Amino acid sequence: MVRYILKRVGYMLVTFYVVITLTFLSMKLLPGTPFKTANRLTPQQLNQLRHYYGLDQPIPVQYVHYLWNFIHGDLGGSFQYGMQPVTQFLLQRFPVSLELGVEAMIAGTILGILLGIVAGIYRARFLDWGTMTFSVIGISIPSFIFAGILQYAFAVNVQLFPVAGWSGPMSHVLPATSLAIGVLALVARFMRTEMVEVLNQDYIVTAQAKGLTTSAVVFRHAIRNALIPIITVIGPLTAAVVTGSLVVENIFAIPGIGSQFVDSIVTNDYPMIMGTTEVYAGMFIITIFIVDILYGVIDPRIRVSGGQTS
Amino acid sequence: MMMPNTEITKDMFAPADIDHSVSEKIGRRSVSVWKDALRRFVQNKGALISMILLTIIIVAALVSPHFSKYGIDDQDLNRVNLPPKITALSWIPLFSGKEGGVDVYKQNGIKQDFWFGTDSLGRDLWTRTWSGTQISLFIALIAALVDLFIGVVYGGISGYFGTTVDNILQRIVEVIMGIPNLVWIILLILVMKPGLFAITVAILATNWVTMSRIVRGEMMKLKNQEFVLASRTLGASNGRIIFRHLIPNSLGMIIVNTMFSVPNAIFFEAFLSFIGLGIRQPQASLGSLINTGYQQLQIHPYQTLYPGLIISLLLICFNIMGDGLRDAFDPKLRR
Repeated sequence: MVRYILKRVGYMLVTFYVVITLTFLSMKLLPGTPFKTANRLTPQQLNQLRHYYGLDQPIPVQYVHYLWNFIHGDLGGSFQYGMQPVTQFLLQRFPVSLELGVEAMIAGTILGILLGIVAGIYRARFLDWGTMTFSVIGISIPSFIFAGILQYAFAVNVQLFPVAGWSGPMSHVLPATSLAIGVLALVARFMRTEMVEVLNQDYIVTAQAKGLTTSAVVFRHAIRNALIPIITVIGPLTAAVVTGSLVVENIFAIPGIGSQFVDSIVTNDYPMIMGTTEVYAGMFIITIFIVDILYGVIDPRIRVSGGQTS
Repeated sequence: MMMPNTEITKDMFAPADIDHSVSEKIGRRSVSVWKDALRRFVQNKGALISMILLTIIIVAALVSPHFSKYGIDDQDLNRVNLPPKITALSWIPLFSGKEGGVDVYKQNGIKQDFWFGTDSLGRDLWTRTWSGTQISLFIALIAALVDLFIGVVYGGISGYFGTTVDNILQRIVEVIMGIPNLVWIILLILVMKPGLFAITVAILATNWVTMSRIVRGEMMKLKNQEFVLASRTLGASNGRIIFRHLIPNSLGMIIVNTMFSVPNAIFFEAFLSFIGLGIRQPQASLGSLINTGYQQLQIHPYQTLYPGLIISLLLICFNIMGDGLRDAFDPKLRR
């Protein structure tokens, strides 16, 4: 197990290193100069500026500098906010995004599991049909559409919740819901499949044959076994929530890194874009790592075969 | 008592010829995999309705822009923010051309109808919405082609040859998969200029990976079966075995997976355009239309309604059709 974890940590570090290098290279490939007033400067002044920021050095040297700064948590200064450190912005805004994401994940997963179980038990009946229809719609429609519908219906038309902002629990409801619908739909669908599969297993027949009540069979035998594979969807779910949060934060004007990211794209604030991209990549990679480890703990076969999930 | 002459004599019997060909005869018409799949697909009402809806959307996207005499970038500040109006259907509140009880068309003295209304620059939303749909469909086509040409070939080679080739190809895939799609796409788009070309390249770079893994799995399963051995014994080349035997045999899986990756690509384009990394003005994409619509959501909700409706329909239909195809090709996988 220790060997397996070490191997996974190794993979994780390599992937992250690749991401950092790629962001550096794409920064170097960007056209134009980072200086806003470049065309009004004399070549001498430009050279001075380039020297000041270390841009006159060869790219490998710059690369080492970049890595060195990165390790020390220095992601450069934001063009948009007068060269204030990017790290500071990210540290300030990340908790907000994390809170929103976790709220959506927890609400979506719990409701999704419940719906999936109900649909699995009442297979091929109206409840099942309804849940699955809802699930297809939830998976298909992008979260920015849900966000718009919810905002229009419950903040503009019926003024139950604030239209935008991030203050107090009431303002969390709409954005978290619009992110949670997708999660809910995915989990419900997955959970239903697992329930149907588990309920067809021989040990369920055995449990029924020895005279257990239906509720005992469902709660003691079926649900427990059906829950395990849910771990595999955590990875895709995180991806979906992060992607969704980019737009949902923007629609509801939530001060998280998602809306920061969209702002920095609009204003060409490259250090900020790079910093945010690295945070996202880091988050994904850590999530995948945790999922892999959890799965290795639960299913020993994966450890042996070298950790190829999917 | 007279017995009727019912004595059974030997000469009343004749040996029945055993005709082996008769007992082996198949009484019913033979049903190929494809016919079987088609039968199951047609029985699936949801999938069939989705297919019809998709066809309607595709035809509408190709034809509709020609019904309007305004181009996608024809601005006119005299006809700003007009609500949808179709004279023939004006008894429906949605198409009455009225907003808040006021007939905006009469107010501004506008004679023509704008079926989906106009935006804040007076551009015809009918033309813009449908040309945005064209872009979504173009992305869908690209995604499908990338899946079929890169994904299938890559996975096919990797799975068929195995050993060293597989090892190298799979390490590359692992690096690509280790980095989330979103990050790849953002990096690619930052280096290039945002636009349709950049999105196409981003899809080219990332979309085939899942497909290649599925095809690889299929190849590994199929390549040791007897019919492949028979073909090889008869002297078939590797290319022939892959493209004439193995890939046709995994075509069901390939089609199903394509149907699932297409809505994914459509979503990503809309998403990127929504956050400003995709299609830029004056071109229109459903994502960017929804984004501009949101700025007016509280006053002019119709500007978001139609692009939102169309992209939702597109994605739902593709997903339901994908489900239908999966059930049709492999009922065991039915979920």
